[in-house]
Amino acid sequence: MDDLERELGPPEDLEDDNYSSEDTSSKGGRKSKLPLVNHMCVETQRETGFHQSARTCLELIREAMLHHRWQEAAEYMACYPQMLEDLTNGIRHEYKELIWRLSTEILHHHPNSKLEDYNNIYERMKHSGVKHYLMISLEHSFHLLLHSHIEDAKRQLSAAESWRYGKESAAQYQKTKLIQAYRSLLDYIIWCDKKSTHSNSDYHNSGDNQEMHNYFRQASVNLREILKNPGVWDPFIVSYVEMLEFYEDHTEALKVLNDYAYDNSFPPNPNAHVYLYQYLKRHDTSERKLMKVLKMLHVLVPSHELMLEYSSLLLQSERKGDLQKALGVVLEMLDFACWRSNLDVWMRLKAIIQKLQLQEDWKEVILREMAGRKDWWPALHFTSFHASKDSEENPELMKVKASLTKIVCPDLNLKYTAAGVTSGEWT
Amino acid sequence: MDYQFPQQLFPSFYNCGPPDSVLKHCAGRWGGYDRVRPQGGSGPLSNWTFTSRHQVRGEAWCHTEPVPVPLLSPKHSYPWPSKPPDPLDFTEHMQNFFTDHFNDAFGCMSDILGENFNFKEGKKERYRRDSVKMQRVKHFLEKLKFKICHQSYSSRVLDSYSSLLSDVVHSIPPELLGSLLYEELTEQRDRLLFSEGATGGALSFIPFSQSGIGGSQHGCLLYPGNQGLDCLNFHRVELQHQRGTPSVLETSSRDPFSFQLKGPIRQISSTSLFNTCCVAVRSDRLCGVWRFSERDEPRLLQVVNTSEVATCISVSPHILGEVLVASESRAVNLWTVGKGMQKVREEDSNLYFNAKSSWRWCEFSAHPRVMLYADRTGVELTDIRVSPVSGHTLFRISNASECQSGERLILSRYLGDAHPFHHLITTQYSAYIMDERFPCVPMLKFDHMMQSPPMFCHILPGSASPRSRTTKVLLGSHISQEITLLQYSGGRAEACSSRGPAQALLRPRDSLKHLPVQIPHRLDTATDRLSSPAAGLTCIQKKGGEECICILQLTEAGDIFYQILEPDQPDATAGDDPTLRETKTTTAEQLVPDSQVVMSNDEDIIGPTQAPTVLRFVAETPEREQPVGIVCSDSEDSASERKGRRLKQLRLQVVVNDDPEPDHESGSDTGVKDGKVGGDEAQEEAAGVGSSERQTEVKLSDGALITWKHWLQKLMQKSRDKKPRPRCSQHFTTDTKDLLHLSDGEARDSTDEDRVRSLRRDLRACMSKRSLLVHGSVSASVRAADVEPLPNPVDTEAWRDQLSHRLTLSWQGEEVWRAWWEEHLGLNKDTKVEALRRKRRRQKEAKRAAGRRLELSGSFTSSVSYQSDLDNLSDSTGWSSTASQGMWSDAEGSGPLSRLEGYLEHGTPRPTTPSTVQKDTPVTTPAATPQRVKDKPGDQQTSRTPVKLDSTPASQRRSKRPAGDDLSYLFATQDEPSQRNFYYPEDESSVQPPPPPSTSSQLPSSQPVRLKNLSVDLSQDSFVRSGFSQSQSSQGRRGLSQASQAKKKKSRMGF
Repeated sequence: MDDLERELGPPEDLEDDNYSSEDTSSKGGRKSKLPLVNHMCVETQRETGFHQSARTCLELIREAMLHHRWQEAAEYMACYPQMLEDLTNGIRHEYKELIWRLSTEILHHHPNSKLEDYNNIYERMKHSGVKHYLMISLEHSFHLLLHSHIEDAKRQLSAAESWRYGKESAAQYQKTKLIQAYRSLLDYIIWCDKKSTHSNSDYHNSGDNQEMHNYFRQASVNLREILKNPGVWDPFIVSYVEMLEFYEDHTEALKVLNDYAYDNSFPPNPNAHVYLYQYLKRHDTSERKLMKVLKMLHVLVPSHELMLEYSSLLLQSERKGDLQKALGVVLEMLDFACWRSNLDVWMRLKAIIQKLQLQEDWKEVILREMAGRKDWWPALHFTSFHASKDSEENPELMKVKASLTKIVCPDLNLKYTAAGVTSGEWT
Repeated sequence: MDYQFPQQLFPSFYNCGPPDSVLKHCAGRWGGYDRVRPQGGSGPLSNWTFTSRHQVRGEAWCHTEPVPVPLLSPKHSYPWPSKPPDPLDFTEHMQNFFTDHFNDAFGCMSDILGENFNFKEGKKERYRRDSVKMQRVKHFLEKLKFKICHQSYSSRVLDSYSSLLSDVVHSIPPELLGSLLYEELTEQRDRLLFSEGATGGALSFIPFSQSGIGGSQHGCLLYPGNQGLDCLNFHRVELQHQRGTPSVLETSSRDPFSFQLKGPIRQISSTSLFNTCCVAVRSDRLCGVWRFSERDEPRLLQVVNTSEVATCISVSPHILGEVLVASESRAVNLWTVGKGMQKVREEDSNLYFNAKSSWRWCEFSAHPRVMLYADRTGVELTDIRVSPVSGHTLFRISNASECQSGERLILSRYLGDAHPFHHLITTQYSAYIMDERFPCVPMLKFDHMMQSPPMFCHILPGSASPRSRTTKVLLGSHISQEITLLQYSGGRAEACSSRGPAQALLRPRDSLKHLPVQIPHRLDTATDRLSSPAAGLTCIQKKGGEECICILQLTEAGDIFYQILEPDQPDATAGDDPTLRETKTTTAEQLVPDSQVVMSNDEDIIGPTQAPTVLRFVAETPEREQPVGIVCSDSEDSASERKGRRLKQLRLQVVVNDDPEPDHESGSDTGVKDGKVGGDEAQEEAAGVGSSERQTEVKLSDGALITWKHWLQKLMQKSRDKKPRPRCSQHFTTDTKDLLHLSDGEARDSTDEDRVRSLRRDLRACMSKRSLLVHGSVSASVRAADVEPLPNPVDTEAWRDQLSHRLTLSWQGEEVWRAWWEEHLGLNKDTKVEALRRKRRRQKEAKRAAGRRLELSGSFTSSVSYQSDLDNLSDSTGWSSTASQGMWSDAEGSGPLSRLEGYLEHGTPRPTTPSTVQKDTPVTTPAATPQRVKDKPGDQQTSRTPVKLDSTPASQRRSKRPAGDDLSYLFATQDEPSQRNFYYPEDESSVQPPPPPSTSSQLPSSQPVRLKNLSVDLSQDSFVRSGFSQSQSSQGRRGLSQASQAKKKKSRMGF
């Protein structure tokens, strides 16, 4: 049985073998070789007629699904689950997952699919093998959630949470954590529900309060747990922080948000800084701290919309270097296509320059900032085409920009004027 | 707002480390939702809604035609192998080299050795005295041009020479040549399977800004032309699309503006800013930049030469005139047109792990001075303002993006049109949408499910209209020509979510099965041409009004195919649409005859694509064209309406019949479904929304069919003159003219020729009548001349026996013969009858008593008869012919000799034995052929008459009674030898020279018959009687006996 399994094992492995052997035979591996895509559709040795017809059937199903011929795929699919009854090489887990995926996708596109059908297929495939239990449970709860069956989804998740099997693989561990987190998210939603009824009735019932608190405790355990794993946990952290704020556990909230933003094992998520900034702002933290957060965000995402706030904070700041920083921030924003014709940014630039002009070395400052830009900024902002476009779409912007051309690019002869439309030249 | 970042992303784990997962099935991520997140909920439970990263439904776009349509008429192209070469075939290639380029292969040594060999016959003086004569070897070498068995045809001299000289005659040592060839073939194979040079694609479309409002979209299509794809064409095209009329892509009548380049075009990259367009073109070692606009003609700005093969070219979407060029030198240069190159980044090794690849790719990003540097392992964002340059990871093949082991980056593309911060990254398994503001974590991951890696892509930004709000990503693969449509939305305020499963679009190579059937060799040519790998992909998007997408695909043969997708309209009323379409088709069909005539006029060579109206079934033509004709002629409204309705019915029928393949049958019209599948399925289908219905088979429109027909015709014309040289296909044939010489002179030959000619004519006639060419008709033409000269006349005096006497007499006339019989038999007729009866009784007893012994004797006789068959084949064959005549004769199987033997053995005539033997004989005698001949009425006529002729005189002479049917039968059996022989030449041809009718036929058979007559004189009458009864019974039971034949045989065999 074992060698059969190996024999019929993933063709990619075989492919990899070929690949490496080919690689050694070719000269020096100058060209890269790719392991090409291979599927179960590949013929295997020792194949019975049944396997052959099943393989053909699978190919047809795939072909029909790729061309979105769902009806046809469904007709073929009616025959394919026979594959599960094939005991010659043991029931392979891939086939179970395959059948689950195919049939769910077909159900998605069936005009008359009902929730019972989905429940049926999810339940059956869930219990057909231990390897997919968690994944299918999770997908099942997603399906229920998307169809607003929140209680059912919670039941599913709770069932999956208490499910144990064998030793945990890494993937299984992550699935478990995810299931717990989603269950806690639903706890949070119920908590919100309770909170809103609570506030509506504005009558403080200690029993209700207790129940709410229970939900909070249930949710917080798992949410705190999942936030320890590197990843993107935006919905979880938002709900957790909201609950913490409600119970005024500010230290925990700050700790969680800071970890999320500054932990190096986490991916550089701009939202982490945004949440931290928003939290700090809600709680009237000092501008220094806000600017510190925004500075980090500026390093990560110089085009972020919070940079407008950052520049205004810098503009209002009393420190000497901040004005120059503000200039840098705004100029960098203008590098990006999405801000190029934004009036607010240009206005901010104008404001910064106006304030900067109060200093005597303002020309050097601007020159220093523009040094790296002077050979491409004109083409980016100040061509005659830009002029004509801006004058058509946003005359006010045109006015602001025109007033800045000489200051930003002093030694260049720019055609950014309303008259410049006539000359059809691009620089 | 482009600058917004999604407020909440979908949760995911971030796993560092190399990828370890292996996809074990081919379903990709079908069926999964891939995480959900709460969307805008607060307060009570019912307010909360969720959204998933993978949304089940996308926009439904469907084809207007079931096949992609060729845009340009086919040009010449190099016949390139459609299948990748096998490196192990290098010996064959070496052989080709030696035969085709022998001067290169053996030039040097042949100059040196040449004067020592004399290959010419005769002239000796030119050669040295001691030169070796090689005439025989030359003869032998000439034979080598043919396909011969190298074992049997070998020359000892040559073998010894080759062993002597084989290591010196080659200019290039064969070992070296072989290994080089092997290497080259391996590389060619790799290149064909995955040609990384073609990444990016050499097809581009630049829309002109002012169009697109009305019913059409203008623009300029950039594509490579010429055989080697080394000519850059700028061609104006117009996409006409209006619902209700067939949408077409038309090229302008003006010739394309073209530039001849020095190498095949690999990639075309273009940007258009403020109506001015900048086009960068990459060929292997040259890169050029053109500039043009709607009004200005294209103008070449600058060309640069790269020292290494260029792998990528990318024009800046921010600043016109800035181009990034990557090459296999592993460096990326920023080329400011007119100002020169600036090296931006160079990495000697791969970014994240050693992928043994020198392929590099570069793209611009949202910031004009930040660019992407990519290789097979990942992508880095590089700020080119700071030096030394350093990058930070945007994407890497790793566990973080849930890559699979073995996954490699194929293509990266900045999606500036759709979203200023998004990048598309494709691998051979997946396509990733990356946001450069949040590197390392893919915003979205699609499984594109393509067979070969996607190397081309085109992005269609979503528009504001509700029908096409999603961003569409089109991925195209190289060798398998696949195009996959992916849809996604979000990326700004909302997180990205993919919409619907991947949709495979049409491929040119699949189109032949939707077209009328082609003749096999044309089919081969067309298939080869259509399945040449794809070389580029682009799209024309028509916004406003009736939206549609036109997808263009370039193949390496230089053909461009387009397919048009339009948004599915579920609200289109089902009842209204068909009628609309119906009238449309009728008008189209009215047009058809004209166009058909036109086409048959200018190119009448090509037949296989029949009338354009015939979709796939020729048989349908008459029914379908007829009503059309009536519709055309009919001016009355009501009548035409009625006809139209009838036509519709016919149409529907056609639809039903038009579904021969199972994969088209699904989801076809509900009517069809109702008929086919019962119960639930049909109901489901009937209840199904329009979307599923519309996604069914689209009919091929007549316009497309005509385009295809023209295209195929042109292709055939183009491909006719350059077939690859047939290699060694001739077989070695020995000239037999001198070996087999016909002694007869010219006359003989001419008659032969006549005969052959008539035989051919007969053959042709038979073929046209679809009948068999049977012997009767052949013999008429062929056998006539085979008549042997008469043998010497029989000396009647030498034959004094009764039979001979009688036969001699019979030549004098019937009266004489009859008189002889009167005298001989007539008097004792009554006693004869009595004796006959007695005999019959005895015969029954004997049959009863003999039992097994009879069978034994039967078997014996049959074996004897077999022997006699060999001895005297004419007898047995004649027999079978008699049998076929309707009287399986009593004496069947036993030749005269055996019959005699039977007589001798039993002492009694054994009238029953033949009946048992008879069943066996078909095994031994070739009885079947004449039987079959008989089935032809004409033949029957001819074959029967001579028998009659022969038998009647015998019966007349023999019987005293007035000649009755019985007697004639009787005598026919009695006289079968002669009859047989007479019959023979008509039927069974080649065995023996057929004797002349009567006299000669006497010869072989007269002896036994005479013996018989002599020895069993008494029994003669009884013999006649028995023969009579036998023939009767056999007549009656013939079917039975035939039926029981097998059984009898079995019993015998058991015995």
